[in-house]
Amino acid sequence: MHAQDQIGSYDRESLRRTAGLAGWAIAWAGTLALARFGPASLWDSEAVSWAAVALNVAVGIGWIVAHVRFLRSIDELHRKVVLDALAVTFGVGWVGGLAYVVAENADLVSGDLQVFVALLGGVYVVAVAGGLLRYR
Amino acid sequence: MRNRLKDLRAQRGWTQADLAARAGVSRQTINSIEKGKFDPSLPLAFRLARLFDLAIEEIFEDD
Repeated sequence: MHAQDQIGSYDRESLRRTAGLAGWAIAWAGTLALARFGPASLWDSEAVSWAAVALNVAVGIGWIVAHVRFLRSIDELHRKVVLDALAVTFGVGWVGGLAYVVAENADLVSGDLQVFVALLGGVYVVAVAGGLLRYR
Repeated sequence: MRNRLKDLRAQRGWTQADLAARAGVSRQTINSIEKGKFDPSLPLAFRLARLFDLAIEEIFEDD
């Protein structure tokens, strides 16, 4: 097999896997929105609400499995970048989350937790981008 | 860790993308190794050594 035939094959495969992972993330967000807003606007049944929550959890588990497979499939430099980003995100989530709980218990804040989840997503994206730039 | 990857690749007329395809990694990984920003794992170092038909220590050396 000539190397020329393979040029970019890793990058193409990596793009395909990243797109697959993004698909899982979008599916999870979609089922989350369905479970969150469905009871108020789409149906009036506790059983359906529980089914929507179960669907969200099932898709979430699929997303986690897809992420683990993604991590195993990428090359070692990209794995390091992603793991570093996950470490930063985990740290921000842990420290920031507990600080938020303490502040809320002290009646200092009463914000929306969704903003914090979005913040964690942003931290992860920025950390991955920073890692990719560092090893450019 | 220093390495001779860039010289060895140039001797064979391979681009970074060529070497990346042969080693099964991204071009960015080859670039980072050549620049000394990233040290490869032992399995990747073995793969690279096999591609150049050399021993690992003939390509990589400790600082």
